[in-house]
Amino acid sequence: MGIELPPVADQGRVFRQLRLRLIRNSLRLALENGRTRLFTMIGTSLFVAGFTFAVGLYLFNQLAINNIPFKGAIVEALFDLLFFTLGTMLVFSTGIILFASLFTSPETRFLLCSPARADHIFVTKFQAAVAFSSWGFVILGIPIFLAFGMVSGVPWYFYALLPLFLLGYVLLPGSFSAALCLLLVRFLPRNRRQFFLVIGIVVAALSAVWLYKVGVGLRKSFATSGRELDDLIGQFNLLRSSVAPSHWMTRGVMAAARDDLSGALLPLAQIWSNGLLMFVIAAWIAKRVYRTAYDQYTTSGRSRKVYHTNWLDRVMEMLVVYLDKRTRVLVVKDFRTFRRDPTQWALLILFGLLMLIGASNFRQYSAADLAVMDKYAISLMNLCGTAILLCAGLSRFIFPLISLEGRKFWILGLTPVSRDQLLWGKFFFAATGSLVIAETLILTSDALLGLPWQGLALHALVVAVVAVGLSALNVGLGAYLPTFRETDPSKIVVGFGGTVNMVVGLGFLIAVIGIMAVPFHTLHLARKAGGGANPWVFAGLPLGLAIGALAVILPLRAGARSLRQMEF
Amino acid sequence: MIDIRNVSKLYGPKPAVQDLSLQVSAGELFAFLGPNGAGKTTTIKLLCGLLFPTSGSVRVGGFDLRTHGDEARALISYVPDQPFLYEKLTGREFLQFTADLYAMPPEKSAEKIEEVTKLFHLDEFIDDLTERYSHGMRQRTVFAAALVHDPKLLIADEPTVGLDPKSIRELKTLLRKLADSGTTVFLSTHTLDIAQELADRIGIIDRGRLLGCGTMEDLRRQASMDGNLEELFLAITKEAAAEATV
Repeated sequence: MGIELPPVADQGRVFRQLRLRLIRNSLRLALENGRTRLFTMIGTSLFVAGFTFAVGLYLFNQLAINNIPFKGAIVEALFDLLFFTLGTMLVFSTGIILFASLFTSPETRFLLCSPARADHIFVTKFQAAVAFSSWGFVILGIPIFLAFGMVSGVPWYFYALLPLFLLGYVLLPGSFSAALCLLLVRFLPRNRRQFFLVIGIVVAALSAVWLYKVGVGLRKSFATSGRELDDLIGQFNLLRSSVAPSHWMTRGVMAAARDDLSGALLPLAQIWSNGLLMFVIAAWIAKRVYRTAYDQYTTSGRSRKVYHTNWLDRVMEMLVVYLDKRTRVLVVKDFRTFRRDPTQWALLILFGLLMLIGASNFRQYSAADLAVMDKYAISLMNLCGTAILLCAGLSRFIFPLISLEGRKFWILGLTPVSRDQLLWGKFFFAATGSLVIAETLILTSDALLGLPWQGLALHALVVAVVAVGLSALNVGLGAYLPTFRETDPSKIVVGFGGTVNMVVGLGFLIAVIGIMAVPFHTLHLARKAGGGANPWVFAGLPLGLAIGALAVILPLRAGARSLRQMEF
Repeated sequence: MIDIRNVSKLYGPKPAVQDLSLQVSAGELFAFLGPNGAGKTTTIKLLCGLLFPTSGSVRVGGFDLRTHGDEARALISYVPDQPFLYEKLTGREFLQFTADLYAMPPEKSAEKIEEVTKLFHLDEFIDDLTERYSHGMRQRTVFAAALVHDPKLLIADEPTVGLDPKSIRELKTLLRKLADSGTTVFLSTHTLDIAQELADRIGIIDRGRLLGCGTMEDLRRQASMDGNLEELFLAITKEAAAEATV
């Protein structure tokens, strides 16, 4: 070969130094220029953690009031479910973030052209993805177990082991997801659409069977006032099996709570050793297949699709016919972008369907005279569910819109459309879409529940205030706190602006529902217990409407001002 | 230095490069020309080991990019048309990272960083975070990083985009000097006068096929005309397009 090769670098050290420099510079910059931003971020994280802690404290106290043993089978089953759910969420979130950073980011393109080894690139990206996807897990997990520890009385080392359990548990689903992501991209058949369709049908069928069985178990346990729980608990056997990592977590945490140190350390070792092993396997897979997977992904030649206007675009245009032509064009442009990205609307459909299934199940329970459920309580839950769905959906899809326009804003800037019009266009797009979705969901589920017309009218009004207010908050704050450098919407959402927007949005919907709807539901629940009618339950409506108006005016005004001053 | 043999690359069913064979020797400055979507960038990606050929083989310095990619990439520097820099690193830190990645000893890397900093006039902003750089500053920093480790093969995709006339002049001088000192330079460009002025040999690619390759004289013979590179380029690509439609 004849060419002298340079020595091989200790790439692990080189990448460690790179990460340290990036973190150090980012922190320094945050402290120098964006102290308010940094402290707001810490503050909102503490707020979320504090809120979770308070809810946890309340729920664990309820267990104490109902004489349910803290360290017994029911709490163990709840923890199994909690860890399994969090683990599943980690699998998906790490996989999605890792896929984007391994296969679509400019940094990986740069690194893949350098002598950096594939496994080192993978490890760097893996650490970032896991850190990104698991901060929520740690911020939510620690307060829940702190609350559990405080209410149930645990030894000191329960608290010391807690971070070790949570950090260790992050590794296993994260590594599994990383390995799966690499293998899927590398070996996925060319006809991906059919592949995912088949997988989707199988998963949907299995989930339907499982949900049916859970439903049967639930009905039986209600019918026997909770005496026969075996069928219901039996449906969660998989989560409780000795090979389920979520159950190792439960075993370890519960053993620590019971003051059984050796019983806690064994599952902890099991979690860490399996997590590390899975990580080594994922890194090995990366070494073998990452470069070819990248090649496969980049050149798999998705067949060219010709896009036309769709009848849905015309429906959208009709829904905003009250706007001027230019704003209508902008609304339809945003809608078209939205509908062409299935990841944007698939979650909305999923949540909506789950809610309707829940409501229709309740109808069946009512028909079976199961007094244990109350339609006013369920409809309030549905209202809260719809509002949270709106809050999450708008934060995910609407808040990043202005940031995503960032680099190509000059195109819009050169058109004869004012910047205020751009903002209003996005607001009307968000408000119209969310009103249609939320009103359909809440009115259908309330009708299924058989709620009286006063309830229906009240919910329609509350949902309208929430939808319009949240739309304005997301559009306004999106313009006020944009992140133009980021091209990945999921990262914009979890950034500073996104976090502030989410917290403000949650506060808004709690205030509106609390003031406008809760008194009505409390009255009806009290009536069941012998309370009388009271017209004062509607006294909060003007205040709720005023809060809604403020939520529209203030953020849109701030966003418009900020947008007018921006230079592109 | 570069040995591309019978390489084809498919994007799904669509061929991006078809049966391409090309050899470039050490110390040669080779210019690769072609219309948009001709297969230039795909060829460069194959040379860097970012993509792998569907058939055929790509070797750099004798190392097959598929089986000995890490060794081959240790010899290569690639300057893409859209330069990548870590936004939260300073220019100096980025150069240091590049030097470390290529396992340069600390004293030598410090010396080379100083040298390329002067060469590309980075002094004024080298200690600023790169997120504040203009396109031209980024391009110069990326070039400096590409040369910090003395590569055996420099691949540059549209290297003059975003540079001012003075920087372009300096870059042209530098590229020629690099080739004269033994570094192979593989240049992909739309700027035909740069190719005509600098290149030892020129390759013209269209629809994934190498239509012509050689010195200006070779290309003139092939096109049976005595014009400048622009006229030759248009004649060769027009002829190929006419053949393709027949």
